[in-house]
Amino acid sequence: MTIRYLKKHAALEGHVAVDDAEALAQWLLLQRDPAVHLGKCAGVHGAVLQVLLALRPTVKAMPADPFLAAVLGSS
Amino acid sequence: MNQADLLDQFVIEARECLEAIGKRLLDVEQQPDNEALLNDLFRSVHTLKGNCGLFEFKALERVVHAGEDLLDRVRHRTLAYSAELADALLEAMDYSAQLIDQIERHGRIEGAADAASMAHASALRAFVCEPTSVPQLESAAPAATGARHSVPCQDDSPPWMKRLHLAGLTSRAGLLALRYVPEEGCFFKGEDPWRLARTVPGLLQLDIQGAGAWPQGEDRAAWDCYQCNLDIVLCTDAPRAEVEAHFRCVAEQVNWYAATPDAAADTSDVTSAVANAIGCVDPVSPLLHQRVVALWNDQCDLLERVGDSAGTVLAARNAMGHLLACLDNGAACAALAELPEGVQAASLLAWARANAPAAKEAVRAAARAVRPEPDIGTPPQRSDDGSTSQPQKVLKVGQEKVDRLMELIGEMVVAKNSLPYLAQRAEQVFQQRELAREIKAQYAVINRIAEDMQHAIMQVRMLPVGAVFQRFGRLIRDISRKLGKEVNLVVEGEDTEADKNVIEPLADPLIHILRNSLDHGIELPAVRLAAGKPAAGTIRIVARQESDRVIIEIHDDGAGVNAARVRDKAVERGLIPADKAATLSDDDAVQLIFLPGFSTADEISDLSGRGVGMDVVRTAIERINGGVELSSVQGQGTTLRLSLPLSMAVTTVMVIESAGRRLGVPMDMIVETVRVPAGDVHHFKQARTTVLRGRVVPLRALNDLLALDAAPVPNEEGELAVLVIRHANESVGLLVDHFHGASDIILKPLEGVLAGLVGFAGTALMGDGGVLMVLNPKELLQ
Repeated sequence: MTIRYLKKHAALEGHVAVDDAEALAQWLLLQRDPAVHLGKCAGVHGAVLQVLLALRPTVKAMPADPFLAAVLGSS
Repeated sequence: MNQADLLDQFVIEARECLEAIGKRLLDVEQQPDNEALLNDLFRSVHTLKGNCGLFEFKALERVVHAGEDLLDRVRHRTLAYSAELADALLEAMDYSAQLIDQIERHGRIEGAADAASMAHASALRAFVCEPTSVPQLESAAPAATGARHSVPCQDDSPPWMKRLHLAGLTSRAGLLALRYVPEEGCFFKGEDPWRLARTVPGLLQLDIQGAGAWPQGEDRAAWDCYQCNLDIVLCTDAPRAEVEAHFRCVAEQVNWYAATPDAAADTSDVTSAVANAIGCVDPVSPLLHQRVVALWNDQCDLLERVGDSAGTVLAARNAMGHLLACLDNGAACAALAELPEGVQAASLLAWARANAPAAKEAVRAAARAVRPEPDIGTPPQRSDDGSTSQPQKVLKVGQEKVDRLMELIGEMVVAKNSLPYLAQRAEQVFQQRELAREIKAQYAVINRIAEDMQHAIMQVRMLPVGAVFQRFGRLIRDISRKLGKEVNLVVEGEDTEADKNVIEPLADPLIHILRNSLDHGIELPAVRLAAGKPAAGTIRIVARQESDRVIIEIHDDGAGVNAARVRDKAVERGLIPADKAATLSDDDAVQLIFLPGFSTADEISDLSGRGVGMDVVRTAIERINGGVELSSVQGQGTTLRLSLPLSMAVTTVMVIESAGRRLGVPMDMIVETVRVPAGDVHHFKQARTTVLRGRVVPLRALNDLLALDAAPVPNEEGELAVLVIRHANESVGLLVDHFHGASDIILKPLEGVLAGLVGFAGTALMGDGGVLMVLNPKELLQ
């Protein structure tokens, strides 16, 4: 698993593949105050990015990739 | 399957596609509201485009792609099907057929085809480019592919450009912006739009947002996160070709935009500014301009260095002249020519600096700076509605393979015929009656199998006559539009089958006949109405089988043939003497149109009137052992009746003997065989005649015709064997020695040095191993 679902946030690590998108979406929907940690995230699949854009969890730590960070930051 | 095989296959399939497309285009024109037809048409075009993608046939693909876009619009009812649209599509189709011919011949498309294919593609795109379609710029990407052509000269950037913040980037050269809207199901195809966009070479900026609204509130639970809803806009400074290659798999989902910065006017870095300004408009010219500018600067440097060497100045001046000519800059060329003859280096240098092509180009480029680019082909797409995986039930075999098989079977038939001879020898020479009987029994079995085989291979070669009729729809449509006539084509019995070698040579004669009907037969609508006929004429083609012949009738309900006029024209052209013409009945007079050189048209049009019409038709039909009959009722129409053999492979001949030689005569020419008592032959000078059933029949001795020095041999009762054959609608008797009965043979045409031999149709191998020469009585008697 490249996503660890912790108490306060989901930690996305390494490259998050397409299969994780649905689980992430489900998890984010269940949270009262959804948050993700992308500090160790190397990259995400388009579907995962779409989940993040659609459900807009609080981003606790931005990813290293400037483009990804910019996209998440602006939304 | 190697590349060559694949290419052959491609050519065959592409031809089939084009044929289907041509047919469907006409069908759709008849019933523009028929969804099924439209879809079928679209699918054919789509298949063709997909096939093109297998090879690097850009020119072809470009045209087909344009056609596909156009049809897609028609299919989705955003564009109405019209006759003009059909014209353009048909033209593009003809052009594609030419390209495919080229591919077949050379295995590739000539470089020159590029420009023509551009022209065709843009002609098609022009239909898409209607003012109403401008708002579609913001619609889904595939539609926008065509729509962006609708705003070729719009100066301001598309709305999505606002999502990029190019303010700080304007000094960069050759910026390219694009919008990529992945299709909804892209995740299921294993695509990752984000990754694709993120890895664009030379990526400078990237913006992503939802193509539609993101789900809110309750909807969020039901939201399907695997339905792609992304809309990506990005900006890169990589060369367009590279970026295009990057997006090659989803090219139709990408919208291009050359975001040329306004800083192009800044001439300090002339070269890059020019290259940048015109950078992405034309794939070749940027390089050209770059070189021109570089050379121009070189000339300036040279002039600076040399001082006053007259020769160098002249050389530099010439070089500049050529550079300007190369840029099509006529005004500057003239200005250069106006400079005094012995101009000093310094003044030329000043002029050159002032008139550098770069500056001019930059201005021009700035004017069109923000201009969408032309479409440069799209790599093959296999979208979900493509029917590329139809089950293959038909085996495609080259004709030469079938021909070879037939040849072998022919040899088998001949070889089998030697068994009866063997049986005869066994009985007579070796006195083995039992063995002879067994051989005969075996012969019967082999004979049956061989005949079945022959029959089967004939079936393989059978082609429905509809194969030739198919192209007539198009022909009639084009010609009748040109002539301003209204014509309906009715085809019946197109399933009637005949041998490929019979069907294929029919195409040209039939086209001739149809053209004649259209040009001379069917009247103009006004004339028809005046004559109490419906405005639209009808041309009816009926094919059917009658015993072992295929009959094709072409009937038009036009004016019919004017017998009196035909008579006059024939006399006028010196084809028959006037007194003979006067004695001809109307029916016979009408047949005069088959005479070589006959034409009633006073003016030569590009359709007919050159006098090479009907006699060519008759010659072509007779070459395949067919016949033509014409009947015409003035004012009511003309009927042409073609009678054709089912197959040309097996010929039945009558074997005769003359002066000790066995010869074959094609059965279809023989009227009868009679024995005439020598006393009934009348001699009149050199000519001999006899009377058969009250009709005088001229007699010719076959020996004389073949220049054999022997008299015809009568039988014991003093009767002469006369073979009555039909020659030019008259009966002629051939005097021979003996009749030997009929035989099925495979006729081989004369080859090599014998090819020029007159009087023989060919040769055949007989069962006893002998060679039978088959006569061509028509040539003999002429």
